Order: sequence, then structure tokens, then C-alpha cells
Amino acid sequence: MNLITLKNKNAEEVATLLGIKERNSLVEKFAALGLPHKMTEEYHYFDVEKLLDVDYKTLNYVPKSIEEGDKIEIVDGVVTTAPKGLRVYTDVCENIDMEHFDGLYYLGHLLSPRVIKIEVDGDAHVEILHKYTQSDALINYRVEISNQANRHVTMYENFETADIKNTLVLYGYDMHIAQDSTLRMVRLQTMSGNAYSMVSSHKITVAKNASVVLKNFDFGGDQALQVLKVELGEYAHVDAGHLLYLNDDSKRGTASQIIHRGEHSTSKQVAKNILDGQARGIFDALIRVEHTAKFTKAEQNANSILLHEKAYMASKPQLEIYIDELEASHGATTGQLDEKQLFYLQSRGISYIEARKILVVAFANTLIETVKDTRHQERIKDAFEQVFYASNKG
Amino acid sequence: MSIMKIENLEAKIGDKNILKGLNLELEAGKVHAIMGPNGAGKSTLSKTIVGHYDVEVTGGDITFKGKSILEMDPEERALEGIFLSFQHPVEIPGVNNAYFLRTALNAKRKHQGKEELNAAEFLREMKSHLADLGMKSDMISRSLNEGFSGGEKKRNEILQMLILEPEVIILDEIDSGLDIDALRQVSEGINKMKDGKRTFLVITHYSRILDYIEPDYIHVLKDGKVIKTAGAELVPYLEEHGYDGIKED
Repeated sequence: MNLITLKNKNAEEVATLLGIKERNSLVEKFAALGLPHKMTEEYHYFDVEKLLDVDYKTLNYVPKSIEEGDKIEIVDGVVTTAPKGLRVYTDVCENIDMEHFDGLYYLGHLLSPRVIKIEVDGDAHVEILHKYTQSDALINYRVEISNQANRHVTMYENFETADIKNTLVLYGYDMHIAQDSTLRMVRLQTMSGNAYSMVSSHKITVAKNASVVLKNFDFGGDQALQVLKVELGEYAHVDAGHLLYLNDDSKRGTASQIIHRGEHSTSKQVAKNILDGQARGIFDALIRVEHTAKFTKAEQNANSILLHEKAYMASKPQLEIYIDELEASHGATTGQLDEKQLFYLQSRGISYIEARKILVVAFANTLIETVKDTRHQERIKDAFEQVFYASNKG
Repeated sequence: MSIMKIENLEAKIGDKNILKGLNLELEAGKVHAIMGPNGAGKSTLSKTIVGHYDVEVTGGDITFKGKSILEMDPEERALEGIFLSFQHPVEIPGVNNAYFLRTALNAKRKHQGKEELNAAEFLREMKSHLADLGMKSDMISRSLNEGFSGGEKKRNEILQMLILEPEVIILDEIDSGLDIDALRQVSEGINKMKDGKRTFLVITHYSRILDYIEPDYIHVLKDGKVIKTAGAELVPYLEEHGYDGIKED
């Protein structure tokens, strides 16, 4: 399958090309937004057309009997194991956002009419491991996650590959955070060796008085874009942190929209980006405060360090505000390592190379240390240092 | 015996010539105080000795234990035994103070051909120093200088000095921002290091610190040159007449 054939096609043509006879409203939404390209705002800094214009082999997503395990394992888009006590099954998605800004969100739903549903009862810690084993493949799947009111869930999302090449993963979740509940999602993704590229297009709805904490740790090379839409109800809260460490000629990052719909909703979005080699980082983040969201508090900040003269950071924090009764701030900085700090370390006998490493690790740690569980914090630190030290030998 | 010799040193920061043929000889084991008015070049002198990026040396030489240090990187100078206590120590969020101190100490030990210390050995070494300086033990588990008061930052500088045991110690305005109690504790830490072998270069604007750290020599720096060298008896004279009253040697 070559997805570029869907470029500039009307709804009827899209339906024919995808062999879809029903689900007209999704086809129309996709056709209206179109396949993303260089001029699509959220994809402006990401060479999406190059990824889409490839003949990928397609896979059959036949649900398997799910074995009991200590985590949810999804292999090439199919659930293979899940812990006891969690409801994990495959079904039609009933909560598709009909106002999403991303064409690939709808394409993902069109290609995956049945989604993996994860329903978490009570307070829980859940680990999700995504495994990819197929080369030159288009792996498309979606996950729907929901929790119970007044409960607290922590999810750890990790990615692994077999020895593969040139695969494209279209993935995403639709997440519904129930009233008075909390969901923390810690995502760690290290990529290298052109094994796979990814566009993950998500939608998170945060109900009244609920809170979602998203901590994203994206390390290494290759191409990946996380497209995120978060909607906040009354007194709802989102705390989103993004740490990017990229090397080689990687292009990765986040394009997000956080939409305040309810009164007294609050958002905090922090991005720390470290770019090495010829890497390009993307942080295209909009916070929109709607007429209905009086007394909102919104804070957005992006700090980037360029370790190489050819590294580039596309940092675009934006606020779109339709009311007066709110507190909002945003800012972005991009620069080199602080020379005063470097010199201070050197003046104590620490070599320039080691001092540089210490400062980069320290910059990353300010976000890594916001992960509460120390075991996972250490795991993320190790993953970061492994990638960073491999790129900065000497 | 001279441990450091500065000859006809000329240096600039940006386009501004600051040191204009400065001569100074530091005698091993002695306390040398550099005094002078604002803009005389006191801080530039300390930056030049430790190899700060801002300073461009345009003439002259600095030798330490008979070797020129001008071509050495800042870390090499530190490993050789030169230590600067900064007037304004930088804050480095995310760098744990204990980790930083151990990394610095182990760099030094490696340079000396000694075995590196593990975390437990290092902490044992630290404990007595912390108590002597009136530092709370949690200060070493915090980020380096982040959120430290002026006094805490200066104590942390002295802690580094005690751990790294340098041979030449430059104290740049060590008394600035310190109250009397902090000044006393910092001075005690410094005096503890006075063993007749270590050399101190105390850079100061005011004579107050010299009540606590007794100098052997006073050097008056004016317009990028040392214009007078005398004993401690010069301090009361400076108090009374100011720097304008000094006649060049």
C-alpha cells in the first residue's frame, strides 16, 4: 500500500481506494483535511510525504487469544498479553473526535475500524509495550483507553523492535479521563537505525475535575511525530512534559493542541529539547482558551539546547485566547550550553567534554526527575544516558 | 620561594585593555592580598590566572611552579593546583552537588595517579568538612548552588577548596554578601587551609576580610598594574588615605 495515492482525493475516491462502504462521516473528515503535506501547519517541519510515499506491505490484524502477562504487549498492532484484572479487547471505537485537526487521526481510524480497548478499573499501574517485528510494513492500529471516576491510574508506555527496517507505524490513542480521576502516562521511546518511523495521533478528553499527566521521553534518531489534542473540561488539568534528545539526521517532536473548554481548567506544558548532529526537533504547540473557559490558567514553555551548528529546533509555542478572565504565559529559548556553567565545572578540574555531558544530563534531568516512580526514573535516565553517551564518546 | 610569577601581563576583555603590564610574584605558603579601586583589574587578574574564556592575554606570561600556564585549558590549571573561589558562583540546576564534588575530586585523584573514591568513601570524607563550615548535610544533595543564599554559595566554594586541596587559592571578593557569622565561618575554613605550604591570593575591595585572614603582603592594583607592595601595615594607611594616597613604588 502506498498512502500517497490518497493525496488530493475527494471522499468518494478515498472510500474507493480504501475499499470502505460505510463510515462516510470519517471518510468525509479525512478528505476535507486531506493527507498531510509540507504546507500542513502541524507537519511543516516533518517530511511526512517522504514517509507516506512508499510501497509498504500491509498486515492482517487478526485478534489472538490474549495470554496473561505482567504487561500489555501489542505486537505489530495485535494484543498478545495483558495482566489479569484489566479489560483488554478489540471492538469498534465509539468515541471518535469529529473535530480533530489531524488528517492522519481519521486515516488511522479508517484503516483500523476495530481498536484495542483498555479499560482500567480502580487504581492501577499498567505497562504497555509496543513491539514491531515486520520490515517494510505499514503497521496501523489504535488504542482506546478509559478509566473509572475518582480513580488513579499510572501507565508506562514503551517501544521495542526486532531487527527490522523501513517500517511505518500509524498509531494513536483515544483516551477518556473520567471525572475526579487522575491518569499519568509516561512514554519512553528510543529509536535508531531506521527501523521504523512513526506518526502517532492522539485525542485525550479530560472530564470535570480530572487530571492527566503526560511525560514523553523521545530519544535517539529516525523520524517520528506525536500529534496530540487534549480537551479540558471544568476544573480539569493537564501537565504535559516533553523531553527530546535527538542525534544524527533525526526529525522528531510534538505538534499539540490543548483546548480549554471548561471554567477553571489549568494546563502546564514544558518542553526540553536537546539537538545534536543534524537533527531537527519539533515543538509546535497551541493552547486555545475558548469563550466557555473563564478563569483558566495556562503555562507553556520550551527550552532548547543546540549541541551542533547544524542542529535545528522548530519551537513554536502559541496561545489563542478568546476571553479576558485568565492567567496565561508562554515562552521559548534556544541556545548553546551556558558558558559560565561550563567554565565553572572546568575550573574544578572537570574536562570540557565531561563538563558538557554533565550539563546536558542535568538539563534532561530537570524533566526526568518529574517522574515520581524512582525505578522508572532510573530506567529513563539510563535510556537517555545510553543514547547520549553513544553520540558523545570521548 | 616563588610559586607563581606574573610578568608584564597584558590582557583584555572584548576591546578593553584591562591589565597593562602587571608584575606580581607569589611566595609559596604566604597570604597575598590584592587591593584596589573598582575597575583596577582585580577580577580580570583572577580570571586570567584560571584561564577564563572572556580574557584574551595579549602580552607577558604567568608561570606556576616554573611552568607557563597560558597555553593550558582551565581544567589543566585546576588539576595542577590552582583554585578560584568565585565572587558569584553560578547555579547549575539538575547537577547534584555531591555528584559534582565527587566528579571534581576524582578528576584530581586520577590526575595524581590515585584511585577514585566511590560514593560511600566520598561521603565519609565530606562529613567533617560540612560540620566545620556549619553546612547542613542536605546542601550536598541539592542542585549545585541552586537556591543557595549568598553565604551558602561561599561556604560551598570553601567546601570545594577543602576537598580539592589546591596549592594556590584565589579568593575573589570572598567577603561580598556575607554577614558577620558567615564571614567568620568562611574565614575559619580558609585559615584551616593555611599550613605554610599553600599560597593565598585574596582579592578584595575592603579591608574587612583581612581582619580574619591575616595577610603577609598587600599589593595595590591600579589601572591594570601593581603600583605598591608592602606588608600588612599598609592596610590602616589605605583605610585612612584611600587608594589615591598611594605612591607608586
